[in-house]
Amino acid sequence: MNVLVLSGYGINCENETLHAFEVVGFKGKIVHINDLIQNPKQLNNYQVFAIPGGFSYGDDTGSGNAMAKKILTNLYDQLIDFSLKDKLIIGICNGCQILINLGLVPSLNKKDPEIAMIENKSGSYECRWVDVKVNNNKSPWLKNITILNLPVAHQEGQFMIPINLLKSIKANNLIGLQYINNHKKLAKGQFPFNPNGSKDDIAALTNQNGNVLAMMPHPERAFYHYHVPNWQNNTSKKFGDGYKIFMNAKKFFA
Amino acid sequence: MTNTIQILSIEKTGKESSLQKEHNNKSIKIIDGYFFSRNLDDQKFTKISKLISNDVSQTILTKKNVNKVLSSYCNFNWVVEIKFLPGVTDNIATTVKEIIKDNLKSSFKSFELGSTKIILIKGRKEDITKISKNEANPLIQTIKIYPFKQYLNNFKKNQFKIEKVKLPKKKYSKKEINLDISDYNLSLIGKLGIEENDKSRRGTLGLDLESLKTIRNYFSTIKRKPTDVEIETLAQTWSEHCKHKIFSAKIDDIQEGIFKKYIKGATEKIIQLRKDNFCVSLFTDNAGGIEFNKDWIICHKVETHNTPSALDPFGGAITGIVGVNRDCLGFGKGAKPIANTYAYYLADPNKKYQLYRQKNKDPMLPANFIAKGIISGVRVGGNCSGIPTPQGNVYFDDRFAGKPLVFCGTVGIIPKKIKGKLSHKKKANPGDIILMAGGRVGKDGIHGATFSSEELDPNSPVSAVQIGDPITQKKMSDVIIRELRDENLYSSITDNGAGGLSSSIGEMAKESGGFIVNLEKVPLKYNGLYPWEIWVSESQERMTLAVPPANVKKVINRFNARGVEATIIGKFIKKEKAIVKYNKTEILNLDMEFLHEGYPKLNLKTSFPKIKKEKKKIIKKSSLIDKLHKLLSSPNIVSKEFIATQYDHEVQATSIIKPLQGEGRVFGNATAIKPLFDDEKSIALSQAAYPQYAETNPYDMAGCSIDTAYKNLIVSGANSKKIAILDNFCWCSSDEPDRLYQLKEAAKACYDYAVAYQTPFISGKDSMFNDFKGFDKTGKSVKISIPPTLLISSIGVVDKISHLTKMTSDDGDILLVLGNTRNELRDSVYSKIIGYEKSKNPVVNSNDALRTYRNFEKANKLGIINSAIGIDLGGIGIAVTKMAIASKKGLTIDLKLKNKISVDQFLFSESQSRILVSLKKNKLANFKKIFKGSDYTIIGKCTGSDVVEFKDNKKIIRGKISDFAKSYKQNIKGL
Repeated sequence: MNVLVLSGYGINCENETLHAFEVVGFKGKIVHINDLIQNPKQLNNYQVFAIPGGFSYGDDTGSGNAMAKKILTNLYDQLIDFSLKDKLIIGICNGCQILINLGLVPSLNKKDPEIAMIENKSGSYECRWVDVKVNNNKSPWLKNITILNLPVAHQEGQFMIPINLLKSIKANNLIGLQYINNHKKLAKGQFPFNPNGSKDDIAALTNQNGNVLAMMPHPERAFYHYHVPNWQNNTSKKFGDGYKIFMNAKKFFA
Repeated sequence: MTNTIQILSIEKTGKESSLQKEHNNKSIKIIDGYFFSRNLDDQKFTKISKLISNDVSQTILTKKNVNKVLSSYCNFNWVVEIKFLPGVTDNIATTVKEIIKDNLKSSFKSFELGSTKIILIKGRKEDITKISKNEANPLIQTIKIYPFKQYLNNFKKNQFKIEKVKLPKKKYSKKEINLDISDYNLSLIGKLGIEENDKSRRGTLGLDLESLKTIRNYFSTIKRKPTDVEIETLAQTWSEHCKHKIFSAKIDDIQEGIFKKYIKGATEKIIQLRKDNFCVSLFTDNAGGIEFNKDWIICHKVETHNTPSALDPFGGAITGIVGVNRDCLGFGKGAKPIANTYAYYLADPNKKYQLYRQKNKDPMLPANFIAKGIISGVRVGGNCSGIPTPQGNVYFDDRFAGKPLVFCGTVGIIPKKIKGKLSHKKKANPGDIILMAGGRVGKDGIHGATFSSEELDPNSPVSAVQIGDPITQKKMSDVIIRELRDENLYSSITDNGAGGLSSSIGEMAKESGGFIVNLEKVPLKYNGLYPWEIWVSESQERMTLAVPPANVKKVINRFNARGVEATIIGKFIKKEKAIVKYNKTEILNLDMEFLHEGYPKLNLKTSFPKIKKEKKKIIKKSSLIDKLHKLLSSPNIVSKEFIATQYDHEVQATSIIKPLQGEGRVFGNATAIKPLFDDEKSIALSQAAYPQYAETNPYDMAGCSIDTAYKNLIVSGANSKKIAILDNFCWCSSDEPDRLYQLKEAAKACYDYAVAYQTPFISGKDSMFNDFKGFDKTGKSVKISIPPTLLISSIGVVDKISHLTKMTSDDGDILLVLGNTRNELRDSVYSKIIGYEKSKNPVVNSNDALRTYRNFEKANKLGIINSAIGIDLGGIGIAVTKMAIASKKGLTIDLKLKNKISVDQFLFSESQSRILVSLKKNKLANFKKIFKGSDYTIIGKCTGSDVVEFKDNKKIIRGKISDFAKSYKQNIKGL
């Protein structure tokens, strides 16, 4: 089991993302996007393609846009190929924004990006912990998970989806994660439970196969128990909730 | 054909809603504009528009649709167009250019591009002017206001314009400067700069008459005239900013100066006493380094960026944070930045100070503009670089109205050995190539070093402003830390900060002997810079490397493969000469010894200052609960959550004690990160400064700063033997004897307390002239000096996860205050807000304090302490309320137990060296054993109810936790 973790141009969560994959049993490598463009064939050696969080191109022209355009120009076919195989792709935070801008998620109409990631309703960057519930249990990334406590850290985390598309996303059950409140009910847009005002409290989407997951929260930052706020009140567990996502990737190939 | 692409977000953006709220006007819309230097045909227009916008959320404006699209919002009548001044770093434009080049490849060759913010408004002209003032900074941006009709017309006629840098075509010919002139004319060179042929002046050199005479003497000995580049270089190298002349000067009877005697002296004394390997690299490098574990070193550096932040708050702060990041990259062979820290000392953002740099013109930016700009600058710098920013604080005082203080710090980590060699040692060898990597050079920040050493006055140059580009730096940093360093491909590295190349190469060449630089090789942002400008420019995001010739090709290729520019600009030599050439003409040739040590040493005298007697204030009559609310909601105590949540403190997945603590999210005094996945050790960080105590007693002010910064780490669980501190002195009027007296006193306290606590100083910086000289709104001249501010930053190692403490108590816990509470309310938050009677400033008794701290450390390691908070501003009253808010659990406090002091003195005194702790009942016996002979008071217990109650003989006073939380989490007015 090999994971390729993308880096370069301001992506910045590659180390901790790779670490999380390694702990659950993957072998992995951080690969600079320019090296991947030079030699796209190396993708054949990997089962998982991960785009970590960060600030590619400083979010200029919209978060994830510039990096998505670089991939579109230089690597698009290879990535589509990868997504059509029995392989997994994950985009976390900036990675999620890149996948959305590429149109790899939800990928219902295969040509153009169908969704925009827009600025948080609060107008400011939000670094805080949220609870999300799993909506789509068929995605290998999310199997057997119900609720996750994870941090978000973003300026543009609001999914903007045209009404018709939202209908088919729901009909196809492609909403991966939704923000919930302190009573474990949908946040209904209420801040800070829903940190960005995302419609239908969407925190993550998948493609139709479920093998591509685009999620705004950071599972790699909730990997160990001591990552979780106020962990001192509960020291019995070794891992935080983020661990489950990476374990699911391992189980998929096991 | 058109030369502009304009993009409109369909939904209201965050910026739009905050503008609408701020100006109480719903008819505001912002357009992202891109102006091109050449026309785009329809095909290119469509293609490029698609590349830089999103169909779902945005609309592209065209000649055809613009009227219709915009009128669907409302009938706009005014337009504000905000563009960067030519030559100012435009990060968005850089990204757009890269996208276009990558996608269109060679089919679209050279073009220039500028990004623009176009604000459409329906409103009165006065409102528009106000908005434009709030949204743009004339120092770096041009602002055009015109009617909406004209905007539509511009669209039709294709009349949007990009402004390029238009530097006069000038051919450089070597310029020699005659110094055999009158003292008056000589001093003009120092104050106003070198005179150009057209009689204009280049801007202040910050050289005093004596320095200029020293330069004259040197050149008369070597029998030639100095060149302009030589004088500029000496001005940079000898600046207060670079040489710290005041700290190294003879002062009264202290021959060696206060740095050697008190700061370095303390560290040397401590090392002599300790005999361990804790201190690795001190004072000599870009940051100070200590041992983290057997394989790793951590380094820490804190810088100030005060003057640039006064002129351009966003730009000043972002360059402050990315600049100090480079200090870590330039530590040893290059440490990876793993945490940022910040501390802002600001004027009240809710007040209008109306200060002018010149009579009735050149106004200071409004206090809230400065505060907001600084907060966002560090946000963008830190977040975009992927470095967590967990630790910081903000303090408000009117005396920062003329100059804000912006402290930016970074912690880095580096393996002890790289390929078998000690990583903190570096040496540029003769023959090594000088490589400049990262950004290009422009007119940014010219004269920054010389000017930040001077007071802010009408002649402060505008080109002293720089804008950071964190992404360029991130790309460069990744190559250095991940690829080049661990293969040992270079022999030395340092950053380009103040003074630019003249400073970085000049410093590095001390390792080899000297250098030869060919300035024409330096890549420029635009043509037309004079050699001296290239040599001293402070353009950001650049590192200088010394690379053995055999590795040069490999190093350059590696940089280029990651989209980073790297250029050979000279070589290091053995001969102790500093030589600079421009197109083969030698324009600088100085002895290294003279360059670095030739400056005249100061001889300073101090005198005891008059201490103002504080007027007796009348205590406002109000209930205890009311006083608590007033203090909790005061700007210096109120929660800084709004900063903590906009600064990413989780990136790198190292955050273990977060800035917001407990279920009730209280802003903590210390934070901790766990930097390595395979070691449970953590790094605890804190900081403290007490400018409010400085005028009354600078010695005790410094004692309090050290005590608090140290205490916060002890409270967080750090090992007392593994704590180091950093000093950042921000002073005012440092040419006045009474200010120098305060400085000497504070430095003396630094020695006494650092030695007592055995905490070495590992790095420090000073900024000596934080004064504003200008005019008020009536045209009367005013001088506003900051109160002397000594920021002590502390960094410590926590050996085990289980040693990390929390601030939340549990039902049934016993509450205790460790340490002594005295009537020390002078200059406290209480005395400022409520009033005071006769009282004193806090004084630190290091023996008592250490007894408390050692016992606390012991008890904590044994698991006896359940929770703890360091008591500081607002005293016990605020500490207990914060504990209740954090744990959402009620407490009951017994006021009978105070001895000899009033209830208010007991609750609000700011006596130092105290810790509020809670224990499980069954631990009390063990606690008592450990604390035998040490001062502590049992003050109450945790009830788990929803109120905090205070009991004395007669009555019980209660306040609801949720109400306290509301006061504590109030917005700061003006922000």
